[in-house]
Amino acid sequence: MKILKLTLISLFTIGLVSCKKEAKTTDSSKDSLTAKKDSVVVPEIYKEYYGIYMGDFAGKGMIISEDGEEYEGEIYKKIALKINRITKDSVYGQSIVDGNQRPFRGVFNEEIKSFVLDEPGNDKTDGRFEVKLNNDSLTGNWSAFKKSAVKAPSKTLKLIKKEFVYNPNFMLDENSELIDWENPKDFVEKYTDEETGKTETYTASKNRIASDAVFKLNASKQKLTEKDLKNLRKLDMEIIKNSVFARHGYAFKKQTYRNFFEQTDWYIPVSNNVDNDLSPMEKENVALLNRFIKYAEDKYDSFGR
Amino acid sequence: MLLVKKNISNLLKILLIIGFGYFFWLMLKITLEYIPLKREVSFLMIKQTEVGQRQEYLYFFYTHVYTSIFVLLSGFLAILRKDFGLKNFHKNAGKVYILLILFLAAPSGIYMGIFANGGIYSKISFVILGCLWWFSTFKAYQLARQKKFKEHKQWMWRSFALTVSAITLRMWKVIIVYLFHPNPMDVYQIIAWMGWIPNIILIEYIITKKYI
Repeated sequence: MKILKLTLISLFTIGLVSCKKEAKTTDSSKDSLTAKKDSVVVPEIYKEYYGIYMGDFAGKGMIISEDGEEYEGEIYKKIALKINRITKDSVYGQSIVDGNQRPFRGVFNEEIKSFVLDEPGNDKTDGRFEVKLNNDSLTGNWSAFKKSAVKAPSKTLKLIKKEFVYNPNFMLDENSELIDWENPKDFVEKYTDEETGKTETYTASKNRIASDAVFKLNASKQKLTEKDLKNLRKLDMEIIKNSVFARHGYAFKKQTYRNFFEQTDWYIPVSNNVDNDLSPMEKENVALLNRFIKYAEDKYDSFGR
Repeated sequence: MLLVKKNISNLLKILLIIGFGYFFWLMLKITLEYIPLKREVSFLMIKQTEVGQRQEYLYFFYTHVYTSIFVLLSGFLAILRKDFGLKNFHKNAGKVYILLILFLAAPSGIYMGIFANGGIYSKISFVILGCLWWFSTFKAYQLARQKKFKEHKQWMWRSFALTVSAITLRMWKVIIVYLFHPNPMDVYQIIAWMGWIPNIILIEYIITKKYI
């Protein structure tokens, strides 16, 4: 009786686990930018225009400066538009800004080669693209549906067609700026006035800087060892780890990583989930790096080893 | 004048006891991270090469972790040289301290020293530390057996100064990281030596000045 019970329980668990897996796969296919196939076959036209268009996304908006003052300035961002499908009356695709991936649907005007594309409208950053195709470049503008909800309600786009390819050799460029501007740490420092002898304290903020280890260690090409990582700081390991995801076209949600990888000419964000694309070695390296990043976070400056 | 001196030394004693209590508490918290016993936790997170390649590593590691906290406690209780109304308390606390070090904590410490982080410089330091720790404790034990209590006391202070390196090493780490933010293994190479050398110098100074 007991054995029967156990068997039932284990079978049930296996059942649950497999269900979970299935759910995950459907989920990830929804996430990735691959075109969804409709059951009814609609003839696709202009397949040559399919692809990723990447470039600048700029507009005037209110910027809050460090001392809290608001002023109007130019806000620059990177955008990727992916055209997945063009049929006689519809265009399907996605836009990615700041790691935020939004689907769009619209129409293509064959005569003037221009698109009008609408994001769904249930996100405050959604809006309408009106862009014109000229060989490999796609230019035009975007306007937000809710003008008051965004910093820059109308923006211009200057995009160029890019081919996404995975290449394990891609690294950060050796001339890259390695400062992480997004996570400043405040330090209290003392200053003694020599004349009056008064001591004042002030807070200075310092930014993290990566070392050139990020140009040398490639977690997509070599099996990393503990020895390779032991003397690295957290930021180095975070970059080495996220280089793997960048190569697979992961659209980073964190500004820190966008800042590093947008400096390269190879980084093209195409997906919100690349977990299944990683090679077994990359997965092992990422697991190792995660362990070391956790250790650095918990132990680097604390009482302990 | 004598009264003032006595008061100061009493105050110093109380401060040292409170200080030890605080750091013992921190050490206890570190030890508790390893309960229940796991293969991959805390310090072991960056020691998986050794854990994977050497079957015996975890045995030595956990021997060291689980005995050392009692070494700290028994050593501290014994060095107070009070019986607190219990018969032979000092003697028994000392016995626990000596047995734990000679048979468990020091040998496992020396073994771990051979595979220490930070390369050859820290390895050398930890192995020397382990050997001196064993030797000073053994010497103190012998002298107690021979009833040479003055020298027993001096050697016990040497032994305890090395025991306390567990605490001073971690204190130096916090200070050095706070001041200079070096890379983790650069800190490690420094604290490997700073953890125990100043301690032993201080004790030798106190012994030559005949305070102990």
